[in-house]
Amino acid sequence: MAPAVVLAVGTPVGTVIENTATVTFDLAGSPVTLQTNTTIVTVVERIDVNVTVQSPQVLVAASDTNQALLFRVTNTGNGTETFQLAINSALGGDDFDPVPAVPPIYFDSDGSGDFNVGDVAYTPGTNDPVLAADATVDVFLINDIPGGVANGETGLSQLTATSATGTGAPGTEFTGQGDGGVDAIVGTSGGEDLDTGEYLVSDVQVIIVKAQAVADPFGGTQPIPGATITYTITVEVLGTGTATASAVRDLIPTYATYVPASITLNTVSLTDAIDADAGEIDTSGAPTIVVRLGDLTAVAGIQTVVFQVTID
Amino acid sequence: MSVSAKGVGMNIYKSVLFFVIALSVSAFAQEEGHLNVKTVVQKEEVTVNAAGERETRLVPAETVIPGERVVYTITFRNISEEPADNVVITNPIDASLTYVDGSAFGPGTEIQFSVDGGTSFAAAAELRVVEDGVERPANEDDFTHVRWVMQNDLAAGAQGMARFTAVLN
Repeated sequence: MAPAVVLAVGTPVGTVIENTATVTFDLAGSPVTLQTNTTIVTVVERIDVNVTVQSPQVLVAASDTNQALLFRVTNTGNGTETFQLAINSALGGDDFDPVPAVPPIYFDSDGSGDFNVGDVAYTPGTNDPVLAADATVDVFLINDIPGGVANGETGLSQLTATSATGTGAPGTEFTGQGDGGVDAIVGTSGGEDLDTGEYLVSDVQVIIVKAQAVADPFGGTQPIPGATITYTITVEVLGTGTATASAVRDLIPTYATYVPASITLNTVSLTDAIDADAGEIDTSGAPTIVVRLGDLTAVAGIQTVVFQVTID
Repeated sequence: MSVSAKGVGMNIYKSVLFFVIALSVSAFAQEEGHLNVKTVVQKEEVTVNAAGERETRLVPAETVIPGERVVYTITFRNISEEPADNVVITNPIDASLTYVDGSAFGPGTEIQFSVDGGTSFAAAAELRVVEDGVERPANEDDFTHVRWVMQNDLAAGAQGMARFTAVLN
């Protein structure tokens, strides 16, 4: 399933391209200019479509219902075309077959990218999307997840968009069936395209542990004024999912003062300033340590953030 | 001229069209009495022969779809009694077409391009354009005209050709 090249909008159907060459020369010292005949070529309709899944892997749990995968259907031809949509969730190459909901296809009517109550169901033959050249429509496939699926298993679901005029090998001609009665010719997509989205059964568990070590000015461990507290925060992700945009935020205790330049992430120092590195001390409100860990998976291992304060 | 039309009606239409072109060309030739000039537009048709090999041939182009290539061929013949000097063939590249890099061809000619609507011409490598205030080498998207400058005289009775390929945007 190679992704098709998405063309920018092509020259409109019905455009007439005239061409006349000019020939100049000297004959017996006199300049002469001649025009050739004018050739005429008419642009007819090219039928092409692209389907591209928009959702990254969708994380689900066993027995979840109405799980949505978002796709975008683009008319990559140069005329107005009607497309028929179809779902296939009984695919190979996965661990379980998602169960299409009834109805299984919805338009993202409110353009939110999320499946909402306001989104309109697709009924084949009734509200087939009609797309102008280069126009798009966003479509959800809705599936239920069977019970009994195990953590880490995947299920695939596929959207196919098919030109209502017809499909075939590139170059296949539908005489008189293009816009305004011109011929329609199948382009590189064959008049049909599909893409596949994936559900991943995933439990993500994030374990955060905060520890402290006190060092007083006299070599002991008493939390007295002037003592330094070293905080160590560890973050661990368990399961097969991804904890997206993970960040550690920790308020500096009111009785303490942050020790400048003391933040480290996995033993690497971070500056206090709000800049390109992953951490800072945010003093816009109550002083807060912020360290951004990004998208974390179990593969990343334990993330360790350390910083220090002194007791006032 | 080979015709690949599918219906009888199409064949009749083509015959009429060619008849009209033939008339107008001969009218020019009679009027000017110097050079007989003509343009044809064709496109590539790929077929599979009996041996299973892919064959590409040029067929008359009446219709075209975005992404398809069209080939323009200009032929010229000196029908006067004198040699023609400084023969230059100039062809605009329609805004809906993009010149196919390296496709211009013309025996005994130097090939030049314009990026300013045909005001000035130079070899492709010498042309530059300004885009968003920055000057850069011109590319095939920038070409507005192609021209062929014959390096020698066209003797009485001699003929020549100029050709280029463009892709429909």
